[in-house]
Amino acid sequence: MSSAPAPLSTPDATPASPETAVAERSTVSDSLVAEPPSADSRYLRLQGLSKRFGTTSVFEGIEADIARGEFVTLLGPSGCGKSTLLRAIAGLTAVDAGHVEVDGETITHLPPQKRGIGMVFQHYALFPNMTVFDNVAFGLRMHKVPSAERQQRVDETLSLVELETHAHKHPHQLSGGQRQRVALARSLVLEPRILLMDEPLSALDARIRQHLREQLRNIQQQLGLTTLFVTHDQEEALMMSDRIFLMGKGNILQKGDGEALYTRPESQEVAGFMGAYNCLDAQQASSLLGYEADAAQVVFRPEALYLKSTTDEINDPTMTSNLGPGCGGVIVQRRLLGNVIRYRVECQGFALHVDALNRGARYLLPEGANVMVHADLEEARIL
Amino acid sequence: MTARRFISPAILCVVPFFVVFAAFQLAPLVFVAINAFRVGDGWGLAHFQEIIASAFYRQAMWRTLEIAIVSSLVGIVIAVLTCYSLTRLGGRWRRLLIAFTNMTSNFAGVPLAFAFIILLGANGALTLALQRIGLFEDFSLYSRSGLMIIYTWFQVPLGVLLLLPAFGALRAEWRESASLLGAGRHDYWRYIGLPVLWPSIAGTLTILLANAVGTYATVFALVGNNYNLMTIRIANLVAGDLFLQPELASALSLLLVGLLATITLVQQRLLRRSHHVTDH
Amino acid sequence: MSLITEPRSTAMPARDGPTTSPARRLRLHVWIAIPVFTALALPLLATLLYAVSTRWGATLLPDGLTLEWLARLWSTPRFIAAFGRSLFVVAGALMLSLVLILPVAFLAHTRYPRLDRWMNVLILAPFAVPPVVSSVGLLQLYAGGPLPLVGTPWILMLTYVSIALPFMYRSLINSLRSFEANELMEAAQLLGASPLTAFFNVILPNMRLGIRIAIFLSFSFLIGEFVFANMLVGTRFETLQIYLFNVRRESGHFTSALVITLFVFILILTWLGNGRGEITAPEAGDT
Repeated sequence: MSSAPAPLSTPDATPASPETAVAERSTVSDSLVAEPPSADSRYLRLQGLSKRFGTTSVFEGIEADIARGEFVTLLGPSGCGKSTLLRAIAGLTAVDAGHVEVDGETITHLPPQKRGIGMVFQHYALFPNMTVFDNVAFGLRMHKVPSAERQQRVDETLSLVELETHAHKHPHQLSGGQRQRVALARSLVLEPRILLMDEPLSALDARIRQHLREQLRNIQQQLGLTTLFVTHDQEEALMMSDRIFLMGKGNILQKGDGEALYTRPESQEVAGFMGAYNCLDAQQASSLLGYEADAAQVVFRPEALYLKSTTDEINDPTMTSNLGPGCGGVIVQRRLLGNVIRYRVECQGFALHVDALNRGARYLLPEGANVMVHADLEEARIL
Repeated sequence: MTARRFISPAILCVVPFFVVFAAFQLAPLVFVAINAFRVGDGWGLAHFQEIIASAFYRQAMWRTLEIAIVSSLVGIVIAVLTCYSLTRLGGRWRRLLIAFTNMTSNFAGVPLAFAFIILLGANGALTLALQRIGLFEDFSLYSRSGLMIIYTWFQVPLGVLLLLPAFGALRAEWRESASLLGAGRHDYWRYIGLPVLWPSIAGTLTILLANAVGTYATVFALVGNNYNLMTIRIANLVAGDLFLQPELASALSLLLVGLLATITLVQQRLLRRSHHVTDH
Repeated sequence: MSLITEPRSTAMPARDGPTTSPARRLRLHVWIAIPVFTALALPLLATLLYAVSTRWGATLLPDGLTLEWLARLWSTPRFIAAFGRSLFVVAGALMLSLVLILPVAFLAHTRYPRLDRWMNVLILAPFAVPPVVSSVGLLQLYAGGPLPLVGTPWILMLTYVSIALPFMYRSLINSLRSFEANELMEAAQLLGASPLTAFFNVILPNMRLGIRIAIFLSFSFLIGEFVFANMLVGTRFETLQIYLFNVRRESGHFTSALVITLFVFILILTWLGNGRGEITAPEAGDT
């Protein structure tokens, strides 16, 4: 236990072990290159993690490897167990089975304060009795960092999150976005091996959320910080992550980068969560879109379908080769989603969603128009 | 397990409290329950039979029930009206009056009895004033009606304080959406306000009843042992001037606790039935 | 009941808009409030007037005003002594109950929800068992035997711990809930604090207001406690309430002065307990 690498390496601490040196901010990027990729790609390992509350299982047999410096998002609907999984990694919730490994060290049985893991909570969890400075300094005080160094490191971290001028305010004097940045600074100042973030942006309003996403990602990349981020917001996940783990009903349904998850869902649940996929059975796929497959389900993203008005050219001039034969239908609904227009087209009694870029009024097709629907057959996904 | 590391010291922290609570709250009750059945060197129901057979103790029970029920019912009606009035009043007056209610709820027992003697005693200011205009000619504070007044007086602030949160939970939006749906004031209270308040009113009524049944200090300070109530009889049997009968006191105490338990059960039954009614 | 009928009879339906009714509605609830609060205030006013009047015999109003009774009260050694005894017992009981109940409330809130459910049942006990009944048991349990506490202030202190429980426990739990103690504990532990350090550095400072409310609430309740004091200890340790009881038949003016003094004392404490004149911002803050 005592040999557990501390999250901090301080000058007056015992001589730094190689592990602790690696955790230091300045050496992170070097070590990314220096260390063999196999160890780095398994910086955080989750092995068979299971948790139940009473008779209901929260998550079951979770397996995952996360690389050093990677930004991974746990994406899923509320109640899918993602927050509990995060708390289990932090040591705030005990697991029933499985192991958590960081940098080759099993930490499953360590209490939270010995894990060297930082966490940012949805509602900030700032200490209301302390100033911003004291909040950020708290962890350093707990780790017995001498006060001169403490001062310096808090100042550095506060300027990293652009709050150096607010150091002597109390949390209640700050806006939501500022509070969350204090919470971030409070975790960062300890140079945690892993940073966990539990829906950190969902209590904020849209504009600030947008700004913080970018700031967060920049800081994470700058520090090469291994980060596990929880959200239920698909757009947020796609924007920020190196990889996304899509969770549902206590399992990780699919892992991959945003591109893979979005364009190549491996199951109907993933397809259902990631977008307004058109789900067809093999017979419908064949008769409607001319796609022949020996599969139970074929799914098309709405932007993989194209409309051609009966009198006109295809509505998307960028369209290329591999279009299917198409079928006739009627536009029953047209909704403007911003830069995209979503049509609902009824073809032989089946409703298809078709997304088209909103190029301008003259490209718009009216409701009730007769159209042909073609599919880009390359983009079909068989489930 | 991470959790187990903290369990043992944590449990140690709560042990002292439970020891004190058990010794000074639970043990006395258990002791009373056991002692009530102790007859001489053996066990039996002799004390209960004695109480039932005695017109004196039957009167004590009857009067306890009577004063508790009357003062609680009158008290809860006034409390409900007062709460309604408070929620309608402007902020500053409301805060002031709530603070005042808080103060009066702490004004009980001996000081309260004394204040009533000053006000409504034989030479009390209000007694004299009312007699001058021809009212209250044969009123006595030390009689049943006098006790009713003083009981009601201390029930009202308690009722108000217990009911206020429930009134606070009545959302303005409910009233607004009810009125948008075509409900008048009467309909609002009939279908939304009172059904929502009803559990709190029933619960508060129970507490008022229990409070009245258990009252001792105010009566004792006012009339000593001269008004026949269960609490007065019990105290007199363990700390009176005559010979002491702790076992009989225990039996009477057990009856008193049984009475309180019955009130609670009736309240819960009532509450359950009310939910069936509002379901329709 | 009358609550339904009165608003209807005097005020317009809400849908008729606010313009028609405010004046009439105002009149209604003012007509409820005035008699109720007058009736509540009368005994207090009468006592106050009696305490500062020279003589108030068979007349409607007193002959003159004086502070003589208050001065006489504060120069009566027996009163000062009783006051001191009351303060001693109540302060002791409050300190003891804080030390005993605070860890229970903290653990029930942060770690063991089941303990909280148990406590919510237990705090009903002081309401469900009248003091007279408890006294019957206490008198017999602690009159002799291994713990002969009857007649000493100690039995009062210990008994007061259990009757102060509902006030203490609820206020402490409310306080813990108000600043989301659970999350703060977790955050502190992730930053490297041991549970004990986190408790003293993060939880306790944020509970200052809650603790103060708990203490003053219980204080005003306990200082007015008579039944246990009378039955368990009586004149062997004359507290303020016992003293008041014993002198209630003497000069009415003097006793009024005593009652008013006690009342004002409680008033000041309640006022202090509500956190006047202190920075409460950090606690009111984070939402």
